[in-house]
Amino acid sequence: MAKRSLKAAERRLAWLLLMPAFAAVALLVAWPIYVVVQMSVRPGRSLALDQLMSQPLGLANYDRVLHQSTTWAAFLHSGVYTVGTLVPAFLFGLLAALLFNRAFPARRWLRSLLLLPWAVPGVIVSITFLWMLDASYGVVNSVLRRLGLLATDLAWFVDADTAMLAVIVPTVWKSFPFFTITILAALQAIPGELYEAAKVDGARAWQQFRFVTWPGVKRPAMLAVLLNALWTFREFDIIYASTGGGPAGATETLGILVYREAFGSFRFGTAAAIGVLMLATATVLVLVSMRRLKDEFR
Amino acid sequence: MKTTKSWLRVLAIAAIALAAPLAHAQMTLEFPTWQAEEPGVSTWWKELIAAYEAKNPGVKVNIQQVPFAQFVKQMTVRFAAGSPPDIVHLPSRDFASFADQGWLEPLDDRLKATDIAATWPPLQSEMSWNGKTQGVLLMGYGGILFYNDKMLKDAKVALPRTPDEWLAAMKATTDAPKGQFGLATITAEHPNMVVEMASWVIGSGADWLKGGKYNFTDPAVVKAVDGWRQSVGYAPKGTNSATARQLFIDGKVAFLRDGPWVWGAVEKAPADVRPNLRIAGLPFPVTPGGASNSLHLAAKTDAKKKDAAWNFIQMAASPEWQHRYALTGSPAPRKGVVTAADIGAKPQLKTVNDEAAKARNLFPEVQAVRANYNDFATLVTKAAMKMISTQEPTAKALADLQAELEKQVPLR
Repeated sequence: MAKRSLKAAERRLAWLLLMPAFAAVALLVAWPIYVVVQMSVRPGRSLALDQLMSQPLGLANYDRVLHQSTTWAAFLHSGVYTVGTLVPAFLFGLLAALLFNRAFPARRWLRSLLLLPWAVPGVIVSITFLWMLDASYGVVNSVLRRLGLLATDLAWFVDADTAMLAVIVPTVWKSFPFFTITILAALQAIPGELYEAAKVDGARAWQQFRFVTWPGVKRPAMLAVLLNALWTFREFDIIYASTGGGPAGATETLGILVYREAFGSFRFGTAAAIGVLMLATATVLVLVSMRRLKDEFR
Repeated sequence: MKTTKSWLRVLAIAAIALAAPLAHAQMTLEFPTWQAEEPGVSTWWKELIAAYEAKNPGVKVNIQQVPFAQFVKQMTVRFAAGSPPDIVHLPSRDFASFADQGWLEPLDDRLKATDIAATWPPLQSEMSWNGKTQGVLLMGYGGILFYNDKMLKDAKVALPRTPDEWLAAMKATTDAPKGQFGLATITAEHPNMVVEMASWVIGSGADWLKGGKYNFTDPAVVKAVDGWRQSVGYAPKGTNSATARQLFIDGKVAFLRDGPWVWGAVEKAPADVRPNLRIAGLPFPVTPGGASNSLHLAAKTDAKKKDAAWNFIQMAASPEWQHRYALTGSPAPRKGVVTAADIGAKPQLKTVNDEAAKARNLFPEVQAVRANYNDFATLVTKAAMKMISTQEPTAKALADLQAELEKQVPLR
């Protein structure tokens, strides 16, 4: 009896101590999601939020969003942008981590420099690359022409064929340090004896990577890929600051479309509906990934 | 008892100490604008604010710079959040969409006590929405041709007087490998992309809104837009309005089509470039222009702040401050403020005021388009960027644009 009442008391204490965290999550996460979902089911064009919330419930916003071609184009652009960023960022991050796992002069301060792209605000990254990739005065065009790889200057951000690549490049530059840091931490946890044993067994470099390195970094790498995928999927500042979603919608991802619907077209309800669809997509992505991650972490 | 009395004494002293500063509390008027750092007009604003504050002790005007490309969106957020600025400065093209939301205060009663109705140009009527005047026009203008005289002389071309001559002059002055271009214009996603295209259309005497209907498939409109498209071929790609102006001021481009407000920046050009920079009227049969920007009051602000903000607007509209405004290089709306002596001292004022006087409004006047200007501008900009970045024929691009506009911005 005494044991039971002690356990109950402990449970009550545990809940009490968790209350502040629950309150914070409710205020900062649950309440904004509730407001967004509410806005998404209130058809109407008013920008006064109190007027919008008093509109009758309806699904007209979802009907509009699902029937407009710009929504599906934005989904496609978001997918291309996310995958187009993740793959090179992961590969560069992995290569950099493998490099920095070796001993060489000035390794420590070079590792610190490596973090800089991750620390630079997205808008500054956009401005920098806008100048580097400028069609008329940019250094990239100049170098490519001198190397004989370009006959005429390319308008990287203005040409619909190159604009998506032009926004992916700065995003990769900003993203890869996160993979490097995560994978490097995992690499340093792999015991050196495993490599020695592999060498004794005659394993080549690629075999060492496949059977020693990769199993050691796989779990944190997968988690890093999932997190980065979610961040990239909702990315806004790099694209908005460099192309604004153009030219002619060529780089209009879902994040840009939400902004344009809300503050360009004054349709908060439609913007909220797109936001809910983004949330649903991200949730599905996380649920599918979590099953795989659970297996890995068992 | 003694303790209670002591506490009461402390509370009383604290209340007096707090009340004293509150009694003398300053009223601060929030005034966001894109012109707070614009050469020429920013000096006028700061001098006006200083004079207003001297005349109204206890009132402070907090001018805040917001870049033009983000200005309307930021104001939209502020109004939607119920936190509008006290002095509302808007690009006039966006006035109707704000008025349509009920965000702006009707000014008819306030205007009765002024001479604005008698002394302002006909463009002041653009400030009317649903039968109520909701703003005071601050500038109506005619488009200006800025040109680098040295570049024209080096290329042996005369100042153009027709669109074809202009295109030929742009071609003659372009040497892209050397970083020299015939024209600096907007070639990136920017709110003023519509103005660039509309200037060619209205300037040629055509109109893409005719008889209350969209008219983008009119051959005259297609021809005018083709002219604009050709001109973009002589301009650096990826430029917004700020970059375009900077390229002109740096002496890298021969021509810039813009508003008279750029003159303030031209006066700050490097010493070796400045003597070559001139202005003239645009080489179009019709001068495109319109209402540029205007001042308003927010409907939902404190009554005292509204009165104080209105006093500020009245001061800006006074003959003394309108004269000073005209001397910045932009045409003041108040009639007759520019004297012969002013023109003698600043000859460019004659061109600026002549063009403003004969300008035809390039912004849509159809109510449905004005109320949904952002949607209209977004679709037009999209079509313009398609024409800049692909080889799609102009007629098809404009036909697609018209179909899209008829669906998204139907004309009531």
